Amino acid sequence: MGRASYIRKRLILSVFVLFGVTIVIFGMVHFLPGDPATILLGDRATTQNIAALRDQLGLNRSLPEQYWLFVSGLAQGQMGTSLTFHQPVRDMVLSRVPISIGLAVYAMALAAAITLAFGLLAAVNKGRWIDQVIRVGFLFILTTPSFWFGILLILVLSLGLKWFPVAGFGATLQEHVWYLFLPALTLSLQLSAVLIRNLRSQVILTSRSDFVRTARAKGLHERLVLLRHVLRNALLSTVTIFGLQFGFLVGGTLVIETVFAVPGMGQLLFTSITGRDYPVIQAITVVSAILVIIVNLLVDLSYSFLDPRVTYE
Amino acid sequence: MFARLGRWSNLFTRALGAALLLGACGVSALTPAAAQTPAVLRMARNAEPGIFIPWLIDDNTALFTMGNVYDGLLRVTKDGASVEPALATSWDTSADGLTWTFQLRPGVKFSDGTPLTSNDVKVSLDLARGGQRTVWKDNYKAIKEIQTPDPMTVNIILNAPHAPLLSELAMFPAWIMQADMATATEAPGYDDAKNWASKGTGGYYTESFQKGEPVILKRNPYYWKNTPAVDEVDIEYVPDDNTRVLKLQGGEDDIVDFVPFSQIDQLNALPGIKAQDFPIQQTTFVILNVTKPPLDDLNVRQALNYATDKDAIIKSVFFGQAQVMNAPIPLGTYVDKESPGYPYDLARAQALMAASSVPNGFTLPMIVPNNNQDRINTAIILKDEWAKIGINVDIQPLESSAWRAAFHGEGNFMSTPAAWTNDMNDPTEIVNYAMRGGEGSGSFAYWTRYNNPDLSAKITAADLEQDAAKREAEYVDIQRTYLKDAPLVFIANLGATAAWRSNVSGFLIDGLSYYRFEDVTLNR
Repeated sequence: MGRASYIRKRLILSVFVLFGVTIVIFGMVHFLPGDPATILLGDRATTQNIAALRDQLGLNRSLPEQYWLFVSGLAQGQMGTSLTFHQPVRDMVLSRVPISIGLAVYAMALAAAITLAFGLLAAVNKGRWIDQVIRVGFLFILTTPSFWFGILLILVLSLGLKWFPVAGFGATLQEHVWYLFLPALTLSLQLSAVLIRNLRSQVILTSRSDFVRTARAKGLHERLVLLRHVLRNALLSTVTIFGLQFGFLVGGTLVIETVFAVPGMGQLLFTSITGRDYPVIQAITVVSAILVIIVNLLVDLSYSFLDPRVTYE
Repeated sequence: MFARLGRWSNLFTRALGAALLLGACGVSALTPAAAQTPAVLRMARNAEPGIFIPWLIDDNTALFTMGNVYDGLLRVTKDGASVEPALATSWDTSADGLTWTFQLRPGVKFSDGTPLTSNDVKVSLDLARGGQRTVWKDNYKAIKEIQTPDPMTVNIILNAPHAPLLSELAMFPAWIMQADMATATEAPGYDDAKNWASKGTGGYYTESFQKGEPVILKRNPYYWKNTPAVDEVDIEYVPDDNTRVLKLQGGEDDIVDFVPFSQIDQLNALPGIKAQDFPIQQTTFVILNVTKPPLDDLNVRQALNYATDKDAIIKSVFFGQAQVMNAPIPLGTYVDKESPGYPYDLARAQALMAASSVPNGFTLPMIVPNNNQDRINTAIILKDEWAKIGINVDIQPLESSAWRAAFHGEGNFMSTPAAWTNDMNDPTEIVNYAMRGGEGSGSFAYWTRYNNPDLSAKITAADLEQDAAKREAEYVDIQRTYLKDAPLVFIANLGATAAWRSNVSGFLIDGLSYYRFEDVTLNR
């Protein structure tokens, strides 16, 4: 099968996946205990004003009717109106997509750089103290809650050294890059902690392969051995994990965007779940699912570039 | 294996360098305060506003923001204890108490320069009490009709005498919008496009608001109390408590709200920062479902109250930033100042348990919202304290929305820590919500399912009483009855916290927890 027909097949499958996502998320948010009207009215809720608000919000319609409105709206590019903020959900969510994607890509770029740097350093120094420090250090990062780690970075890099702002998003592109560095770094360090372990062991394993021995035997410079033969082969599984971790990033931004006050999808999702803002939760989940599907497809396609033997069936 | 790879450490350096370069590319040109102007006050708060139309507001964030944009005929005094003139300078009532006449303040203008007239008042109040979309019509059901005999006079005709009227007119749903704008809010789709533009007679106005961006309050040049000193207030949403405080410390914000109680003393020890706990009309307590045995036994409910060491909770949970709750309503108008409360008395609690239906103790399930550390900590302390009278508290953390649904719903809960904040200075709101029971009450006496028909009759009578002294006596009597019946475990009166940099002065959270920017001055 050629690459084009493979992509076509995957896209058709994605429609079914998305349909499944809409059913699961609709079911989950509506069967969760907690009622938007009660939450909105808070301490002032009475049975009368709860009933009035439920009616106004359309929550008294039957579930199949609400689901149909959700899916048919989605098919037309409409996502309803936020129960909490009385604004079109589409505008609210789509305006935040670039911010969250920007943060995720930023974090992935940082993670790639950190992983390459520390993964290779650990591998080439296998068993030495520097390898041990890297492994223990990133194990510590991996086991640390991201919100705590984020605040630690703020204390050191923002309040202490005054290199970066504490939190926020900024107004210009230059400011965005500057403001998002700490949240991206927090996400990337946790992501790197997984990737470095994998890259290190893959580099060590691959370097024992026959083809590497052959490359050395034919007198190739050690630098080219590592770059052309070891790293390229070792990267394959790291790239797979890298792609799969995009889902982790989408989830990770929920906490990190809240800690760093980044107005992205994660922060909106956090507010919406707490407020049971059904249309917003549904829209963000669907948009996130689409993003994950696209990224996974891109990762699968990248295999053939890394390893020409890979074909698509 | 990689014996000759010393120079490969170069790759490490390059990769790490690339990572740092990404972040550093903006650093040299920017500082945290680069884009600010001297007349802009920057505030970080814990939530975003939901809607800016007074009679549709259902969230505190919108409420406290729009308190700087809109005025009512009257407004609550800074201490939250009474009302004072705002858009009305004087008022009078007929002998039968059914007709109230308000004289409007001369020369008041909206933020676009149009003058305030009695028609603006009528249109706004009519929408608040009977519009298609208002969620607060119950608060204004005493009003029969609003008349405008001339542009500066408003007559409010009541169905029956109604003592809390002035306080209800000082509440947020009765804020006055410019008539054309108010009428337009009824149109379908209004929220989508225009909701975030506000036009009031207060110190500030908004032009628009995009979620995720700061709320920008701009100075109203026509403000009747003279224009505020600060040109613009930028209120950004920073949900994390610690981050807000760190932004203040880092100089990125001038004021932050909802400072954790644990950090008040810490912040006050820092140079250039002031943190304060403002007294507001807020209480915290434990709701008991009085229909569930053995909580239907008065001895048990009183024993729980006597076995609660409020001072210990105030010290451990609120870091000393609270007062013992002796009266059953917040510290506002007509609070029973002499209320004996339930002083900590373990011996008395044990005696009450011995005389109760469960002398050997019992297990008490307590649902707790898992995102509210203060309430979780309160529950943990109560578990320890009530164990001394043989009660085993089974703490059940629930996600916050599920928690609210659990005790608002069918009433299948036993107990939960909760809190109340007054929206108005008159006690009618709290006593009707927290003490009136039965199906028609709407709130089942703050979901305790407590129902004392005699007390409900007294609450109705207090609403009708026109004589202030008699009314106060009636409310004291109501509070004493409720205190004795103990549907709650009364714990503490709480304040509202905020912190600001020393370049800010005059910031106030008033008695009803509105943020007042009108007297704020800023030195850069």
